[in-house]
Amino acid sequence: MTAARSDRPVTAMGIGLYGLTKSYGSVCALDGVDLEISAGELVTLVGPSGSGKSTILRLIAGLDRPDAGRIEVGGVDVTVTPPHRRAVAMVFQDYALYPHLTVHGNLSFGLRVRKIPREQADRQVRAAAQRLGIEDVLDRHPDEMSGGQRQRVALARAVVREPKVYLLDEPLASLDAQLRVATRTDLLALHRELSTTTIHVTHDQAEAMTLGDRVVVLEAGRVRQSGPPQEVYDEPVDTFVAGFLGSPPMNLVPGGGVLGGGPGEIVGVRPEDLLLESDGPILARVEAVEALGSETVVVARCGDGTVLATRTGPRSRARPGDTVRLRIGDPGRLHRFDAGTGRRR
Amino acid sequence: MSRDVATAIRNQAVDDKQQRSLTAWGFLAPYGIAVVLLVALPALLNVAYAFTDHTGLTRDPQFIGLANVRRLGSDSFLVDSLEASLFHVALSVPLRMLAAVGLGLLFAAPRPGGRWFRAAVYLPTVIPDVALAVLFLWVLNPLYGPLNQLLGLFGHPGFNWLAEPTTARIGVVLMLLFPIGEGFLVVLATRRLLNARLYEAAALEGCGPFGQLRRLTLPMLAPVLVLLAVRDTILTLQVNFVPAYVLTDGRPANATLYLPVYIFDHAFEFSGFAYAALITIVLMAVTATIIVAQLLVVRRWRVLR
Repeated sequence: MTAARSDRPVTAMGIGLYGLTKSYGSVCALDGVDLEISAGELVTLVGPSGSGKSTILRLIAGLDRPDAGRIEVGGVDVTVTPPHRRAVAMVFQDYALYPHLTVHGNLSFGLRVRKIPREQADRQVRAAAQRLGIEDVLDRHPDEMSGGQRQRVALARAVVREPKVYLLDEPLASLDAQLRVATRTDLLALHRELSTTTIHVTHDQAEAMTLGDRVVVLEAGRVRQSGPPQEVYDEPVDTFVAGFLGSPPMNLVPGGGVLGGGPGEIVGVRPEDLLLESDGPILARVEAVEALGSETVVVARCGDGTVLATRTGPRSRARPGDTVRLRIGDPGRLHRFDAGTGRRR
Repeated sequence: MSRDVATAIRNQAVDDKQQRSLTAWGFLAPYGIAVVLLVALPALLNVAYAFTDHTGLTRDPQFIGLANVRRLGSDSFLVDSLEASLFHVALSVPLRMLAAVGLGLLFAAPRPGGRWFRAAVYLPTVIPDVALAVLFLWVLNPLYGPLNQLLGLFGHPGFNWLAEPTTARIGVVLMLLFPIGEGFLVVLATRRLLNARLYEAAALEGCGPFGQLRRLTLPMLAPVLVLLAVRDTILTLQVNFVPAYVLTDGRPANATLYLPVYIFDHAFEFSGFAYAALITIVLMAVTATIIVAQLLVVRRWRVLR
């Protein structure tokens, strides 16, 4: 398998993973992962639980050693380099703030370990705190702050290190929905400002679509697809990626059925490419209607039992039990996959 | 009408509240009665006896004012006893803490055979004091005891442990270095509650094992360590009674005449029940003084937030 490459050339401070394999006991977490990330790139790793996303971060950070394979940071092999010599900073999902230290103590922890003079450390801490907007909570303890503030402290602690690579392990997962969207924007702004290579792990596909220059879809310890978010969304390489990205997921019909197609293939169509039209060729009975405010998802069952989801505008008049007609908006937006391998045809 | 209903509801609420607090007191009663009868009352009686000539044998103790207190001032045995107790607590508490914390942290991490080591550390705690003391009579035996034989391996002639004042005191400290199961368990359990991510975050910052111990583990264990130190001070001032009685009977030269031993001697051997009562108050004062000193240090060093 060739390494999944980005468009940019791998320059200094990029990351290269080659044939990375890791098992925990009898559980295989990574099964030969090849991935190259250019300097300054923001890459999002996305996949279901247990797909190996966090394992990749832990291996790059040096918290675990790979069973096989090579890790390069900036063209230098760091596979056996201890964590603190790798110039990487990691933000954990639960933030891992030191509970007995104030925010200032948390931010200056690493600087003190590295025996940075107190004044210089203080300057660095204040600069990072200012960047994340937490200057006024420097003397608070983690348990005296809100989740959002804690999240910022965790980010600031990473920024203070001035690392070559940021590793973000589901940094937004513990925030409530509103804060998550706001912080997502801040995270993008921060990355644009620092333009440091960043790997961001998430299982939230909305985050994956909006946050990265590139999204890498993982499943069962393997890279399924890697590319710009829109490209991966528009041209999924296999049925897994097709079903994983997008909500509701792509309609996948074995044998084509009402979508047209032959045996030996699986035909897919995104819900937004399926239109509710009174003269559409596909007859179906509405099973469920999910009004999401800005849009409505209508789930309908065709005569042959195929269930199709379609996305329409708000305030749809469809009700469960109604008979509707569906039409494929653009036949070019149909996806055809091999029924045996699941790969795109 | 509605006012009547409101009043009724309010009365009902008051009734419920009274009912609930009555139930609470009901449940507390057995414990409360026991505390009063078995602890508070005897303690008050003890204070009262301290100012009488009670021997423990007669029925009508007479109030004798501060005579017992004056006797304290000229009691050279009490000075020996205080010295023995302070020596013991000064050596025993730090060593027991060191052993409990060291072993607790060592065996908190999963390692092969860990459960056997943990059981082995806890085992001496379930052995009755007297049995452990008898065992230590053998351990400390100058002729065939294993401790002297061990010293012999390093070319040391060994000590006549229980015959010399200092080594006798150290012998008691050594024996009480083994029943540390509770402290060990508390440290082990607390260490296991600490978030592993914190250690990974520290490792990423270049913090090695000793740095992690100093900057993470010990500060985060601090509340528990303070608790254990206070508890061990109280305990250590009292539990040396059994080893002293079995190993040395307070000898040699009053070196192990710890306060509990001296209290027992007066109360039950010299028929000086009232004087013994007064010395228990001394023991309590000594304990309280040491704990206050510890807590002042804790506050001064800002060990706790």
